[in-house]
Amino acid sequence: MDGVGGDIALADVERRLRAYGAALWGSDPPLRPLVGEGDPAAQRPRFDADLVRLPVVWPSLDLYRAALAHVGAHRMFSRPWPAKGLKPLLTIVVSLVEDARVEHLAMRRLPGLRRLWAPFHRVEPSPSLMAADLLERLARALFDPGFRDGNAWVDKGQRLFFERPERWDDSGFSLRLGGDLAGDLGKTRVQVNARGHRVDPVYRDDNGGLWLYDTPPEPPRDADDPLEAVRPEPVEEEGHRRNAPSQTPPAPAPLAVAETAALRPVARYPEWDHRIGLHRPDFVQVIEAVPEHGPPLLAPADPRLVQRVRALVHHAVVARPERLRRQREGDALDLDACVAASAARRQGHAPDTRVYRRVRRRGRDLSVLLLLDASHSTNDPAGDGTVLDLERRSADLLAGPLAAAGDRFALAAFRSDGREAVHWLPVKRFAEPYDAAARGRLAGLDGRWSTRMGAAIRHAGAALSAQPTLRRLLLLVTDGEPSDIDCPDPRHLVEDARKAVRELAGRGIDVVCVALGGDPHTHHRIFGRRNVLPVDRVERLPDILPAVYVRLTG
Amino acid sequence: MALHSYRIAREPYYRPAGDEIALFEAAHADRLPVMLKGPTGCGKTRFVEHMAWRLGRPLVTVACNEDLTASDLVGRYLLEAEGTVWQDGPLTLAVRHGAICYLDEIVEARADTTVVIHPLTDDRRALPLDKRNELLTAHPDFQLVVAYNPGYQSVAKDLKESTKQRFAALEFGYPAAPVEAGIVAHEAGIDPAMARRVVAVAERSRNLRGRGLEEGASTRMLIHAGRLIARGVAPEAACRMAIVLPLTDDPDLRDALAAAVGACF
Repeated sequence: MDGVGGDIALADVERRLRAYGAALWGSDPPLRPLVGEGDPAAQRPRFDADLVRLPVVWPSLDLYRAALAHVGAHRMFSRPWPAKGLKPLLTIVVSLVEDARVEHLAMRRLPGLRRLWAPFHRVEPSPSLMAADLLERLARALFDPGFRDGNAWVDKGQRLFFERPERWDDSGFSLRLGGDLAGDLGKTRVQVNARGHRVDPVYRDDNGGLWLYDTPPEPPRDADDPLEAVRPEPVEEEGHRRNAPSQTPPAPAPLAVAETAALRPVARYPEWDHRIGLHRPDFVQVIEAVPEHGPPLLAPADPRLVQRVRALVHHAVVARPERLRRQREGDALDLDACVAASAARRQGHAPDTRVYRRVRRRGRDLSVLLLLDASHSTNDPAGDGTVLDLERRSADLLAGPLAAAGDRFALAAFRSDGREAVHWLPVKRFAEPYDAAARGRLAGLDGRWSTRMGAAIRHAGAALSAQPTLRRLLLLVTDGEPSDIDCPDPRHLVEDARKAVRELAGRGIDVVCVALGGDPHTHHRIFGRRNVLPVDRVERLPDILPAVYVRLTG
Repeated sequence: MALHSYRIAREPYYRPAGDEIALFEAAHADRLPVMLKGPTGCGKTRFVEHMAWRLGRPLVTVACNEDLTASDLVGRYLLEAEGTVWQDGPLTLAVRHGAICYLDEIVEARADTTVVIHPLTDDRRALPLDKRNELLTAHPDFQLVVAYNPGYQSVAKDLKESTKQRFAALEFGYPAAPVEAGIVAHEAGIDPAMARRVVAVAERSRNLRGRGLEEGASTRMLIHAGRLIARGVAPEAACRMAIVLPLTDDPDLRDALAAAVGACF
């Protein structure tokens, strides 16, 4: 019934689906593709406490939506049961009743879900006594009270299910009714192939998320085994790949840098030790490493995006007018000056002739340092390149219009290789123009080593302190959390970074973090909840960063 | 009576979400300056109107913007045929004659403008009119109320500490679902069952806060949607027009929100 060779790819609609799931249920579990299984038509969604897995390709967006709404209903209303000692047939029937129970609870709140799910319940009454047919017809009978099947077992299930809707709030109801029905089915001579069982209709998950297994079930003999779904997955590759720079030291270490860039120690900074509540003086050395010129950024940014950013920045600048009063020339009369002049004349004094006012574009009293994380984890793939590519592209996208609009800004990157080597990679200093050389340095950035954030923040603070403007802003773009090879205690660098942020705040420098990933709690701890701007999809950074900048400074 | 036109004749509808009416009355009894915090469209302005009506005070409202100068609040000399004449600004009017002065979106005003309210908000209760050489002592009925939305992310837009610490504050949020449904039903004139569905739409959009949306749908938006429904527009179309399209330009979010709206009806 569900045509193979589907039309919609999960990757294309993932962001939309996540937003849809979040809107419906208020929680937003990561969506991952189901991998490594044969017949796509036999694939069913899966979920557990942290993840929802969906087929890579499916025939329609509504099918994805129906699946997500169904899984969301489980996550909202189902609590997993221990599966120990239960027969497979029992878990199948109980799961089926539970599916219907949570859907009815969901439809109480969101009645429109009925229109979403109903088209997938297409099975018609039939005399077939095959277990799979009976189960699918029961699924429809429990979904649709108007469905009349004629089979005694299906009708009994339907009658008992709809008899007392107020019992749906109790998840024990599914266990009791499911147990009852499974018992009846067991007594008939209907053959149930528990191993080969496939949940229908297609949008429903394989029910693995409903059951707790004490021990991992034995390895499945075929791919369609429903129990396979509950096997804990030993490695969650996507989850652990990011932010693990310290565990994966890159192969071509310092030598390569020494060849490519001039290294110059520029400053030592203290580091905050939260265990003793004191600064360790001169603990960290910052080394300036001017990046080698790389080839100019390859793909020129989307011209429409460039246009938009330029308009955004331009608008932010011109939209802040300043009224100049008591001018010798101007567009309009300055009423106060007129009155003063008139009063002076009546009193016999010589009137002040500066009676005009005009509106001038106000220069923004603001300096911004855009600091990019160039640690190893930024080599992770994102979009059609790496995280660092996206950082580079968005920095370039933002820097052009800023330079044109005359904002004071600097651009740098940082990474660390132990406390003696926090590298500071200046791309554009405040006094320098954003020219081909600066763009070359930006293109020459590469990602390696770790993220010793506190020292970088302090060094950025030193650069910003020298700026004569009233407002000073450090905009830090990072994909992870503080870490370094010589710091086994993960809290240490977090607390140090938090201290550094506070030191800057004490000097009137605002620090805002654009977080491309990592643990939000850590970021909130370091920067304060208000000053963390999470970017839900790294690919959208070039889109978002300019908007963030304008909003922060506007 | 200078403030006659500022009196509120008919009771503005307000449905309390907690004890804010009693708290405000207590603050008013001592003429404490009050700050109302909360997201846009959650009922701050309506609350002030309701309280002004309830307490029988005139209400002078100023919507602040970044071009608002101190003179715009306090007043200025005007040039007339026979010489200059002083014109009270809205704040002076309220101080002189005894009204509640409500400064809406106070963070939008420039910092130097907000400083003029300082002498009014401590035990001096006076407004110096330096151009007139007058120290205007506040009328016994005068009370200052300001409102702002702390959700702004801009580091530039925050009240100075010296301003903040002069106010007692009430926090506003979107009301609990049944209360909000009652408000929507009353204001839009739709039946309570439909109002509950519209509030369910709002919950969907508020779930997306921080996941791409800056703010979820405000109560005001829901009332707009409700009014369209009361005019015979189909609920989904009304929510699309009054909620989904105004909220976001992001196509993915728009699609997700529209689909979630579909689930509510």
